[in-house]
Amino acid sequence: MHLLTDPLQFDFFVRALLAVVLVSVLCALVGAWVVLRGLSYIGDAMSHAVFPGIVGAFLAGGNLLVGALVAAVLTALGIGAVGQRSGLKQDSAIGIVFVGMFALGVVMLSRAPTFTTDLSNFLIGNPLGVTPGDLWSALGVTVLVGALLTAVQKELLLASFDPTEARATGLPVRGLNNLLLILIGLVVVLTVQLVGTTLSVSLLITSSAAARLLARSLKKMIGLAALLGTVGGVVGLYLSYFLNTAPGATIVLVNTAIFLLALTLRRRE
Amino acid sequence: MPGAGRGQELVPSSFLIPPSQYQLPARYAARMLGVENLTVRYGTHLALEDATVQFAPGTFSAVIGPNGAGKSTLLKTLVGLNAPTAGEVVFTEGGSARDDVAYVPQQQTLDWAFPVTVWDVAMMGRTGRVGWLRWPGRTDRERVADALRQTGVYKLRGRHIGALSGGQRQRVLLARMLARDARVLLLDEPLTGVDAATQEQLMALLRAQADAGRAVVMVTHDLEQARRWCDHLVLVNRRVVADGTPAEVYTPHNIEATFSSSHLGHTHAEA
Repeated sequence: MHLLTDPLQFDFFVRALLAVVLVSVLCALVGAWVVLRGLSYIGDAMSHAVFPGIVGAFLAGGNLLVGALVAAVLTALGIGAVGQRSGLKQDSAIGIVFVGMFALGVVMLSRAPTFTTDLSNFLIGNPLGVTPGDLWSALGVTVLVGALLTAVQKELLLASFDPTEARATGLPVRGLNNLLLILIGLVVVLTVQLVGTTLSVSLLITSSAAARLLARSLKKMIGLAALLGTVGGVVGLYLSYFLNTAPGATIVLVNTAIFLLALTLRRRE
Repeated sequence: MPGAGRGQELVPSSFLIPPSQYQLPARYAARMLGVENLTVRYGTHLALEDATVQFAPGTFSAVIGPNGAGKSTLLKTLVGLNAPTAGEVVFTEGGSARDDVAYVPQQQTLDWAFPVTVWDVAMMGRTGRVGWLRWPGRTDRERVADALRQTGVYKLRGRHIGALSGGQRQRVLLARMLARDARVLLLDEPLTGVDAATQEQLMALLRAQADAGRAVVMVTHDLEQARRWCDHLVLVNRRVVADGTPAEVYTPHNIEATFSSSHLGHTHAEA
């Protein structure tokens, strides 16, 4: 029992634990839609595209979350606009916009040489560095995103399963898509503090993909994704504490292991 | 050319439904939706050229043609999914008619591994009626249950859709359409991947929907089924080759012009 309670005497560990649970639930809420709509690539793109927003906010001394959110909104609308105007397929539009945004971030960064140590945190992340302020914003975003997604759940479901009929029903299919992109951006920004940009996509997708393999309805899928994500997060955090490994990457590895387990379980069915 | 080629029917006359059903009830008096001089291009590909067709309430229409003839393009343009390159989509009962169109896609375009049950899919048909920020109520549940009973899949309502046969999947999609309670029903190849017994039931169900006053439009390449059940045939091969009652349209000449290897549509015949 000491093994489990020992780390809890440290405030930073408790905060990290709370953050991991919150973000896992959040990622399950959004990740379900990302996986169902085949948007994994966009998740990856978004994690890069919020970069200039974060750099810009840092340089201006503003809130990183707000900066990233602005970048996420611009990216979501930019992907939509480029796709429509050019007639190119969406993957081309995504490729153009996200690499452009990322490059913008790199150029902005090169104007601020003192940013380099913070950059490593941005790329790798560190759940043990989570502040009480971060926790509150994570809680706020989780409640907000959860409420939004619940509010438009039936519309999103139809638009994801059958976009043509959704269009015939009169649903703003493109608007729903943009909303989802913006929420993905928001979630990526939050997970950045924990696992960094490069690994944030994994947190968003892996648990939801595992849940999809096992669940038969949307509600069960989201619930299971939240459960698997939380288990993976908590186990990963403890493992990293005892093995003295990078916490973000350890969490991602545990999630990957859970996914593989789900895959073998389903095969046996 | 009405009535031409009676002696060269491709379908035994015993399959034919009573001639009374071939009449077009108030077809041009109460036009509901249609396209006028519609041309649709995808990039350089010409999918549909200068098509003018109307679909009326109380009529079961079939849009028939070979692969690549622009049948699905026509439906998608009616729904508003494709923008016309030229020409326009016409709704005679006001601009809001668009949300009164139910669309049933080709089965194989949907992801049947999607984590939803039979009930969930049928309930999707209520999405527009329930409205934003609201949850389905008792009326919605009754409608869905009713639609599932009509299509004979009520007992399967708790099943995951991946566990269904082709015929059962089509029944679920029709249940969603019925739950929608729309005035215009558009179906893309509803007979594909469906067993013969189910085909009969689906056709009878669609016929009944038309008789109840809805405009039913089905895209198909099954001429025989269309001729047996529909009272309005539109032969399409990039252009509208023929348009009218089965008696008017179903001639060897028109069928040749529609299904001949040529996709150029140069044999444009006025119906």
